Amino acid sequence: MSDTFSYLLMAWMDPNLLMLTALGTFAGIYIGAIPGLSVTMAVSILVSFTFSWDVNDALALIVGIFIGGVYGGARSAILLNIPGGPSSVATSFDGYPLAKRGEAGQAIGLSTVMSVIGGLIGTVVLALAAPLLGDLALKFAPRDYFLIAAIGLMLVGSLAEGSLAKGIFAVALGAIIGMVGMDPVTAEGRFTMGQMELMGGIHYVVVMIGLFGVAEALFQLHNLSTQAVKQKVDKIIPSVAMVLKFLPLSLRTSIIGVLVGVLPGVGGEIAALLAYDHAKRTVKNPTSPFGEGAYEGLVAPETANSAAVGSAYVPMLTLGMPGDAVTAVIIGALVIHGLNPGPMLMVENPHIFWFTVGNLALANIFLLIFGLMGIKLFAKVVELPKAVLIPLILVLCTVGSYSLNSSMTEVYWMLGFGLLGYFLKAFGFQMGPIILGVILGPLMDSSYRQAMASVGDNPVELLGEMVSSPLSLILTSALVLVLLSNTPLFGWLKRKRKAASVQP
Amino acid sequence: MSTSKKVPVGEPTFCVLLVIFSLAVLYQAHLISGFSSISSPGAFPLGVAAVLLIAALRVLWELRGKPTHGEGWAASAKRLSHEHFPRHIVVFTLLSVAYLAVIQWASFYISTFAFLVLAIVYLRRGRVLSALMASGISVLAIYLLFTLAFSVYLP
Repeated sequence: MSDTFSYLLMAWMDPNLLMLTALGTFAGIYIGAIPGLSVTMAVSILVSFTFSWDVNDALALIVGIFIGGVYGGARSAILLNIPGGPSSVATSFDGYPLAKRGEAGQAIGLSTVMSVIGGLIGTVVLALAAPLLGDLALKFAPRDYFLIAAIGLMLVGSLAEGSLAKGIFAVALGAIIGMVGMDPVTAEGRFTMGQMELMGGIHYVVVMIGLFGVAEALFQLHNLSTQAVKQKVDKIIPSVAMVLKFLPLSLRTSIIGVLVGVLPGVGGEIAALLAYDHAKRTVKNPTSPFGEGAYEGLVAPETANSAAVGSAYVPMLTLGMPGDAVTAVIIGALVIHGLNPGPMLMVENPHIFWFTVGNLALANIFLLIFGLMGIKLFAKVVELPKAVLIPLILVLCTVGSYSLNSSMTEVYWMLGFGLLGYFLKAFGFQMGPIILGVILGPLMDSSYRQAMASVGDNPVELLGEMVSSPLSLILTSALVLVLLSNTPLFGWLKRKRKAASVQP
Repeated sequence: MSTSKKVPVGEPTFCVLLVIFSLAVLYQAHLISGFSSISSPGAFPLGVAAVLLIAALRVLWELRGKPTHGEGWAASAKRLSHEHFPRHIVVFTLLSVAYLAVIQWASFYISTFAFLVLAIVYLRRGRVLSALMASGISVLAIYLLFTLAFSVYLP
């Protein structure tokens, strides 16, 4: 117990870790707020720079950037009507009308406090749920891992923006990229086309830097001439009465954020949109109509996307499955540091888990401090010209890719994935599902083969086990439900039900 | 009439390329171990490659019946270039490729400085002095941050 407590407070007591968390949160707010820079991009590049560091130092900085970045996106959504990231899209619906009404300061202040409330709730859920799920995960059979990964990939594919087919294509493409190289069991080459250089596989941090760094930077060149709209920001700290007024809504939407965040592969953007929809349906008398500057429309997505951060760590730390694109990158960071995210992490390295919990809570405290000050500096940084920023991002991507193996091969891969990502993005394919496919694909492959081997390569017996074990049955049912919800049959049933309910 | 409902120019060709790519991936997956066993090293890749191909075909199928811009080859190529490959993106990409090609030959700091100056001057259409300053500060920050603080090996 005392060990747990000391791990929990490690980041609070060590001046170095304290400073790195503060630095990460501060930088994260600006990275998240600058349109064109994303948290995933920053964390992808950072992972390659910090792999020679002590793991706690690296995690402290990454956690800070994650927390700060998710919040930072709201600032540009409110001030410029340009969401800093996908999780802030819903924030701009009412945030920008509030700014146009001259209430940008109040909106930023309230979104800060609500983000902190959501973030702390997410952290508490992580602390309570992960040990329970971790114990349960030790009882999981390989087929259960296969099922969870399949559910995660189906959810990612189906919830991706645009068509389901594009989402599924992106996920499958990621899984293929993840499987390039030597087969971990038989040492046979897969997708290597006879090239020895490919036997070691493609480093997934390079894929991440290419897709989230280079492709995003190239894509941002389309909006080079977009001018920032300056807003007047005055009083920023919200009154206690105002916070208390929106507290019940923030608690409800935090629960939405937590539930969505804990699903493998689904993160803050879906949580924010669902929370916004919940607020629209349940708040009868908003401060203004939704879409025209309702504070409720700001509170709901902001608490939900921040609550999803903590809970996204739950599947990552207990099952080794990313809760969203950023945690997919963090898995890469943990592996680089010789750790193995999954059920054994809680047994072998409990300090990493409790350190992360303490660090998330600390980052939220720093978020409250930095979020309520430095608004003038913020306005200047957000207005940094993209013409300066984008070439610099490419240089950082180059340095990050090179530093992985001190080799230019990784840099060329990065450029290749950057160009591929640009083309895919141009035609409506999302990058997040590709990264999740890269992580989950090999995991599904190994659990599928273990599951098959355990039944002597008998698929009928495996299917029998999938419905006879209670846990596998739940997971199989969930997978079938997700699959069915994406078929025309589900839409037909919904229409039938609606028609039936309308009839007298 | 809104143009957003129309099939983006170049998308059908891109989707056909994705189908061809998926077929090549399926062939490569088959080469791993064929259909030798249901838990062979190639079994799962074969399944994923099949999903990739089905999804690519579905994406192509979804384009069917959607209105196109109804332009000739020359006009479509012009639109494609305008929408997805505007000149400044092409020039920046070529500049980036050139930068990565000479980075080891010309040394990291010199090539980075030159790349930043050229890219900023081009993207901002002038402002040489501020580009020189921004590039100088950036290179200095990279040296301080990555060489001294992060101890990272630079190209």
